[in-house]
Amino acid sequence: MRLISLIKKEMLQLLRDRVLIFILLWAFTGMIYTAGSGISLEVKNFPTIIYDMSHSLESRELVSKFQKPYFKILAYVNTEKEITEWLDSGKASMAVIIPPDFKRNIDGQGAKIQVIIDGTMSMSATMAVSYVATITYKYAIELLERKMGVTQKFFNDIPILDERTRVEFNPNTLTSWFMSLLELFNVTTMVSLLLTSAALVREKEYGTIEQLLVTPVRTWEIFFAKIFPTCLSVGAFSLISIFLMIKGVFKVPIRGSLFLFYPVMIFYVFTMSSLGIAIATVARNLAQSMMLMLVILTPMLMLSGAWTPPESMQTIMRYLSLISPMRYFIDFGYSVLFKGSGIKYVWDDVLGIVVIGIVLFTFSAYRFRKNFAK
Amino acid sequence: MFSRLGAILKKEFRELIRDPLYLSLTLFVPVIILILMGYGLILDVKNIPVAFLDFDRSALSRDYRHSFTNSEYFKFHSLVGSYKEAYELIQSGKCRVVVVIPPDFSRKLYSSKPTEVQFIVDGSFPSRAEIIKGYVSAINNQFNQNLLYNFSLMKGVSVKFPVDAELRAWYNPALESKNFILPGMLVTTLMFYPVLIASLVVVREKESGSIFNLYCSPVRTWEVVFGKAIPYITVSFVTYLILFIITVGVFNTKFIGSFFVLTLATLLYLACTIGVGIFISTIAKTQITAMLIAFLGTITPSFMYSGFFSPVTSMGITGQIMSKFVTATYFIGVVRGVYLKGLGLSHYLPNILSLILYALAVYCLAILFFRKRIG
Repeated sequence: MRLISLIKKEMLQLLRDRVLIFILLWAFTGMIYTAGSGISLEVKNFPTIIYDMSHSLESRELVSKFQKPYFKILAYVNTEKEITEWLDSGKASMAVIIPPDFKRNIDGQGAKIQVIIDGTMSMSATMAVSYVATITYKYAIELLERKMGVTQKFFNDIPILDERTRVEFNPNTLTSWFMSLLELFNVTTMVSLLLTSAALVREKEYGTIEQLLVTPVRTWEIFFAKIFPTCLSVGAFSLISIFLMIKGVFKVPIRGSLFLFYPVMIFYVFTMSSLGIAIATVARNLAQSMMLMLVILTPMLMLSGAWTPPESMQTIMRYLSLISPMRYFIDFGYSVLFKGSGIKYVWDDVLGIVVIGIVLFTFSAYRFRKNFAK
Repeated sequence: MFSRLGAILKKEFRELIRDPLYLSLTLFVPVIILILMGYGLILDVKNIPVAFLDFDRSALSRDYRHSFTNSEYFKFHSLVGSYKEAYELIQSGKCRVVVVIPPDFSRKLYSSKPTEVQFIVDGSFPSRAEIIKGYVSAINNQFNQNLLYNFSLMKGVSVKFPVDAELRAWYNPALESKNFILPGMLVTTLMFYPVLIASLVVVREKESGSIFNLYCSPVRTWEVVFGKAIPYITVSFVTYLILFIITVGVFNTKFIGSFFVLTLATLLYLACTIGVGIFISTIAKTQITAMLIAFLGTITPSFMYSGFFSPVTSMGITGQIMSKFVTATYFIGVVRGVYLKGLGLSHYLPNILSLILYALAVYCLAILFFRKRIG
């Protein structure tokens, strides 16, 4: 009964703050929309310049293969100096140089084109490089076909390996599917930590926690009443987000069972909230708690495995990441929602979340009791 | 006029120094973040676990498998016996790619016929899947060129490969992601962390009520805004110096540009980001709201929309609009330029001009929204 009235008080406090509710709504819809539709990690419209010294039919033909959506040819230049200028200023990220003896060498010992790429963004550069390699390779095959005269027959007669690549789960490698889910997981993580922690620190700052402590409520009741509104609001908002944004706008195929995903997510919110309480018991004011959350949250968000999967991490970081609940949640979330995995594949992630949840809960309950013992 | 500003500055500095825990947190938190991320965030796609479903099991198919496992990009995981096992590995995420070699692989190639090899790639991380596809093609192209070469030797005709691309990467020859992440981290850290520390300065006084002291004093709004901004700019400037030393000293990031240019741009940039924080603080009514706006509005956007991971030119239209609001977009070009390209000041004038405009806009907004009245 006491617990219920405490929860009621917390809910009222949360709902009264209209701006806050609006921000939460925006976070779970607008932010997911901009992340899903705005970010593309594939290389598109890669700004390219061409330095064609050959001026031959073949060189023009090859240049015509560098086209949208991957490349965007900005200009044709005529000196090396111009290339330097374009790349230095960052206006172009790639320069294709076709040597004067291009045409002669095609028929002779093999022509080489030179591609200069701006390495400052190594990830997109790597991707662009592989597109260039594919383009030249395809063009080379095309030339060979022509040289041999017979298109079909020739290829029946030479040994060649034809690759058939199938990308599972996301056949067109759409970034929007990946980014919208990632943003949902990010927002869930941030909000459940911030809301709970801030609610408690505020009471500490105002001194109203003392008022609560002189009432007959138990310490654990205050504790639960602080966590409950976060779980409820994040739970509700994430449902809106999943159905409205993820399924509605981005048409992400939700292959797995929401009945598996949802309870684990709520438990994850509970875990993060416990962490929030633990931080709040350490910090004396909101500014301090913010710094503590920053140092915990940023590495957690960026090293969750979404950018650097565990197999690429350095050994120390791989072990360190085991203590981050978000690492398990990311793997769990993508596996269930995206890959449609059942509990058979994700039991270890669930176990991780539960174990860390229990540890954090025990720790913060202990801190809370010590801090606010009657 | 400046005596009032001086008085506010004195008060704010004192407030900062009186909370030593907070002050040390503001200095150390960014350092810890930079070190963790510098070690942890690796965008090189290497050691991709690969499994083979080899129905052929011939000498040729073994050679072909070795062309994958010998490269630094792939790491042998296992040989599987059936499609079911293959899918299981992809489903569980233990393998990112499975190569399916058909039973007639070597027979067809030896009898000069084309063959098909299937690749199943885990698409849960699309950008990595895209890179993996590129590596796979590169290995296949190489394999095909060898096949063709041997074939032409056998037949006695010359089938030369007519076109090839020679690649050179400027500024970062080995395409190491370290040289791209650490300068980027400097930018993003100096984006979210000053906003966060500044986002509470006004709203805190609103909540505790001490803002009324300011309301009824003769102090002007611009004096309050700058009086609150300057101490935090100073603190974050010290942080910048520490962060810079770490990127170059600890992580050995390539740095060939001028420290002076970088510092100049950083000062402007910090003025912008602190300004954003103060602006959030003047519009928010409660500390929680200010904090939420600051967290949600800076941490992930500073990574995603600034051009940290992927160039702004490849973003969709909503992303490009968002990137205009993120301060880091204007600064990242300067930092990467100074670190990796080593160009002179004149190359950055457009960026620096944008930062100046951004600062002007932010401070005007903050001064405009800071009303010296109740409600």
